[in-house]
Amino acid sequence: MIRCDEVTKIFRKNGSKITSLDRFTAEVAEGEFVAVRGPSGSGKTTLLLTLGGMQRPSDGSVQLAGRDLYALSPAERARLRSSEIGFVFQMFHLVPYLDLLGNVLLACPGKPSAEVRQRAGGLMDELGLADRASHRPGELSAGERQRLAVARALLNRPKLILADEPTGNLDPENAAEVIRHLAEFHRGGGTVVLVTHGAAADAHADRTLRLEQGRLVAN
Amino acid sequence: MSVWSHILREVGFRKLNALFSLLGLAMAVTVVVASQLLAEADERETRRVTRDMGFNLRLIPAETDLGQFYRDGFSRHAMDVSMLDRLATQLTNNVSFNHLVGSLRREYTINGQDILLVGLSETYVAPGQGKKPMGFVIEKGTIHIGSQVALVQKKKKDDTMHVGVRQFTVANDPIETGTPDDITIFVRLEDAQSVLGLAAKINEIEAIDCLCLTADQDPLAILRKEIGGILPEVQVVQQRTLADARAKQRQTREKVNQFVLPSVLVAGAVWVALLAVFNVRDRRQEIGILRALGKGGGRIAALFLGKAVLLGLVAALIGAALGTWAVLEFGPSLFPVTKKAIQANWPLAAQLIVATPVFAALASFIPAMLAVSHDPAETLRED
Repeated sequence: MIRCDEVTKIFRKNGSKITSLDRFTAEVAEGEFVAVRGPSGSGKTTLLLTLGGMQRPSDGSVQLAGRDLYALSPAERARLRSSEIGFVFQMFHLVPYLDLLGNVLLACPGKPSAEVRQRAGGLMDELGLADRASHRPGELSAGERQRLAVARALLNRPKLILADEPTGNLDPENAAEVIRHLAEFHRGGGTVVLVTHGAAADAHADRTLRLEQGRLVAN
Repeated sequence: MSVWSHILREVGFRKLNALFSLLGLAMAVTVVVASQLLAEADERETRRVTRDMGFNLRLIPAETDLGQFYRDGFSRHAMDVSMLDRLATQLTNNVSFNHLVGSLRREYTINGQDILLVGLSETYVAPGQGKKPMGFVIEKGTIHIGSQVALVQKKKKDDTMHVGVRQFTVANDPIETGTPDDITIFVRLEDAQSVLGLAAKINEIEAIDCLCLTADQDPLAILRKEIGGILPEVQVVQQRTLADARAKQRQTREKVNQFVLPSVLVAGAVWVALLAVFNVRDRRQEIGILRALGKGGGRIAALFLGKAVLLGLVAALIGAALGTWAVLEFGPSLFPVTKKAIQANWPLAAQLIVATPVFAALASFIPAMLAVSHDPAETLRED
């Protein structure tokens, strides 16, 4: 599903160079649930954004389903993200002025069909948000917000979910709930790459990658 | 979700940002509408003032000695009244003179009092320039007399008075003007010709130059060329004091307009652009997630430019209505004489309704491009 070859990402700030990913090489098979661990600043988020086609590496290549992600045009990458990748972030990144249904439907490319709307409603129902559809994200608890972000990520039936510490702001109960939904997606054949500090995902992850200072130190 | 639906929800959520943008744009449109309507009123006022100041062009027979002309106040030579008709037929909106009045002026003695007898023709104006005469209209069988004439002849309004062998009714309330008009009797041109025995003669054509000439264009040379081409038999005298006063008034107004309009436009553009930049900053995370969800630069630009267009449209409607109302309400106190002429300018309002959204979109263009070029990974990493 994903293949990274010698992926390096260097940031330049105030004249100094910071190597966030250092010749990272790894593969993630289709249908695999991979946890990524490492201390703060080890390059976990950079890795996730690079895998999602959001951040061009300074060197190396990223292949997604056999396609060189960064050889694609920005528009092609955007289409790929929309159709095949779902993102879940620690800070939820919901649009504050849209209601819950609007936030879920935001993932839909173009005007949502009746079928898509029905699917969005079904996802909200599954994630326990059906009765809050007309509310705004500001009216939700942290757990509900993250479940909403999961619903949004699942709308387009992606093949891959990239989750960046999705439980970082949640209490253990809500964290377990979110991980349970990701695990369900995985059981349905989806691929999950989950950046996490917590132990909630341990029971579900097939494998753990450990990063330190941008390097893969354990696979 | 459509772009417009997305924009409307964002406007409803960030009300203050939208409100301030709307206020800035509406204010700019209000000022543009008001200043334009006032400029039009001012133009009319200038024309009125100019008209009240009197004619500033005097066309006299070419053989007139200017020394005699200035000493006596009229030419002792006469010309055929057909010259007035000739000039009048050439009156169009493309010539630099207007309001033609033929006159016959001579000294005259009435009951031992030396007076000035002035016969005035009707006023000829260019097509579409209005019919209001520069001076007063002398009805048949009437005369207008100066204050000294009234005093010496012991006449007042509605009294009868003989000029030559004919009897006339005094049509005016004689008031002292401090000018030669005080010793003048104004009669119809044909009556003056009859009294003076100068049938079909005039000795002057009075006119006014257009408002289109500025001092740096050497208006007298232009006027002499234009009039000389039609009537080579006359010489043109311009009363520069009046002409310069008009030119100065016009230039002052133009300078004000040249300053006010660009200032308002620049201030409006800066205001809208700044608010759009703040809006982009506020929405960095939203831009990041839209990118992550696969939305392209076009959609993101449309969200910001569409918002500018929407606010520009609403602001144009508010500003055009407010500016028009303000001028109709308060304009008459600035221009009391021409208050009836202060009117709404609907074509201008229509132009602004089209132009303001475009203007707002242009002002928001750079912020929108900042949003499009913003690196989404940067904000998505800021957890």
